[in-house]
Amino acid sequence: MKRNLEDRIFDGVNYFLLALIFFATAYPFYYLLVTSFNSGTDALLGGAYFWPTDFTLENYKTFFGDSKWMSALFMSVLRTVVGVITGVLFTCLVAYGLSHQDLVFRGFYFSVVIFAMYFSGGLIPYYVVLRSLGLLNTFWVFIIPALLNTFFLLIAISFFREIPPDLKESALIDGAGELQIYSKIILPVSKPLLATMALFTGVGHWNSWLDAAYFVRDEQLRTLSYRLIEIINQSRVPLTAEAAAAGASSVTSYSLQVTAMIVSIAPIICVYPFLQKYFVAGMMLGSVKE
Amino acid sequence: MTVDTTAAKVKPMRQPSLWKRFKKQRSLHVFVWIGLLFLLIFSYTPMFGILMAFKNYTITQGIKGIFTSEWVGFKYFAEFYNDYKFGDIIRNTLVLSFLKVIFTFPLPILLAVMLSEVKNMAFKRVVQTASYLPHFISWVVVLGLTFTFLSANAGLVNRLLLGWGWIDEPIPFLTSPNYFWGLAVGTAMWKEAGWWAIIFLAAIAGINPTLYEAAQIDGAGRLARIWHITLPGIRGTVVVVLILTVGSILGGGLVGSNFDQAFLMGNAGNNDTSEIVQTYAFKVGLAQGRYSYAAAIDLVQSIISVILIFTSNYIAKKVSGTSLF
Repeated sequence: MKRNLEDRIFDGVNYFLLALIFFATAYPFYYLLVTSFNSGTDALLGGAYFWPTDFTLENYKTFFGDSKWMSALFMSVLRTVVGVITGVLFTCLVAYGLSHQDLVFRGFYFSVVIFAMYFSGGLIPYYVVLRSLGLLNTFWVFIIPALLNTFFLLIAISFFREIPPDLKESALIDGAGELQIYSKIILPVSKPLLATMALFTGVGHWNSWLDAAYFVRDEQLRTLSYRLIEIINQSRVPLTAEAAAAGASSVTSYSLQVTAMIVSIAPIICVYPFLQKYFVAGMMLGSVKE
Repeated sequence: MTVDTTAAKVKPMRQPSLWKRFKKQRSLHVFVWIGLLFLLIFSYTPMFGILMAFKNYTITQGIKGIFTSEWVGFKYFAEFYNDYKFGDIIRNTLVLSFLKVIFTFPLPILLAVMLSEVKNMAFKRVVQTASYLPHFISWVVVLGLTFTFLSANAGLVNRLLLGWGWIDEPIPFLTSPNYFWGLAVGTAMWKEAGWWAIIFLAAIAGINPTLYEAAQIDGAGRLARIWHITLPGIRGTVVVVLILTVGSILGGGLVGSNFDQAFLMGNAGNNDTSEIVQTYAFKVGLAQGRYSYAAAIDLVQSIISVILIFTSNYIAKKVSGTSLF
């Protein structure tokens, strides 16, 4: 293929713009990382753009030593793990049932699901339901309402339909019940689907903030996202260097906030690139379904 | 859950095969019913909550109260209409939604085209992987980031601009009503462009490569090839995504983030432009406890949403022949 002047200009501009986009998406996180390793008092002076000017681990020590933050971290991890396991298993179970083409009343079942996808009663009545069920201010308010994800329900149904029927046939001949077929055959074969669902529901739980802020009240039930909102709103007026020095600590509210943000982002950054092939496939299934 | 066997007795004319099939699929139906029960509780029961908007409801009455409290008709709707903030709130909601569609819809397509034209695979992967990272970050973290970069006191941007002498005073990105819309649309673009580009990239990958070769032989340059082959080639995907966008337009369309942004990044300073229907209903309802009023406001939003969907569906049909329904 010939490369003429238009090609070269185009490529030049293209690479430049993409590099800018890369910078715009990656640098903010890098800056957070740098700031988290920079002493709080120094950060107020500014100037540390690519490398900490006063390297310290104080921020992290303070963060991991603080019982409030540790409790929030624990709660976030707990709800993510429990929520992912329960949500994925539950949604897949329902999807498994619905994936059978010869299911009696199939049309009716699907109408119920699709209708619920498009119409919602709104946040206020939802809150009333949660309250009436006694879910408010309990750990389960994070888990139970999240058990079924209609979007992933449809994706899982598509996926299960692709599974060769002979796998199931031979198990049925052997006398296996549906639940056994589900757990021993369908699930092991659906690893890409499970990985995708686990990633998305996991991220959803990890980032969820509204329920942690408004559906619970006990301090122990507060998650990382809530504490983050709390500290961000508190530090709207940042400490001056003098005030921080008077507190005899290099850690400021701001540097602690940045550290918390890094802790919030780190698990996601570690995990998401490796699962790229899984969720790209998941997205494709979803869009084809639409 | 036990299987209801009265069906066989009530309809003796039923072909035995249907009932036999049902019996054979018993467990499967149980699996499905569990899901339907869930939907009944968490999706359908709240739908009755719409009635709340027309009644004098108090939370202590529980779910039953939705049906037993006193009917007041359109009282709360009138109250909302006469609320001095009504005009601002509706305007903010509509403006935010439309701005988002206009700016956040083309960007992923543009990004996908740009990435697809890159020959260096390593560069392409690195940029693409970075571009969809923000999608996985919570809006709370984005809020923190806006602080880090845009706050008037210590934000990086203001510091740099002041240091370079470009401005005399820090720009109040976060607290002035003038900047909220730009802030919301900008952060939404930053957060979601890379993610939606994935779908378009996959669509572009599906275009027949011989089309490009033929065009090049015919003398078409880079831009011409993009315009005449790449863009038309992904038309189907574009339409699907557009339909998805319009379907959730008042929630923020593709990026679906109107509520999160308006709530987290809204404050007393920019409230004139940041208060939208959803956040107002939320504050009035959960924070002030005026549940009926909040339900009425929510219902207004749903109605506007439905009107918008039907209108755009109609326009789409007239203009392009394809539509949602």
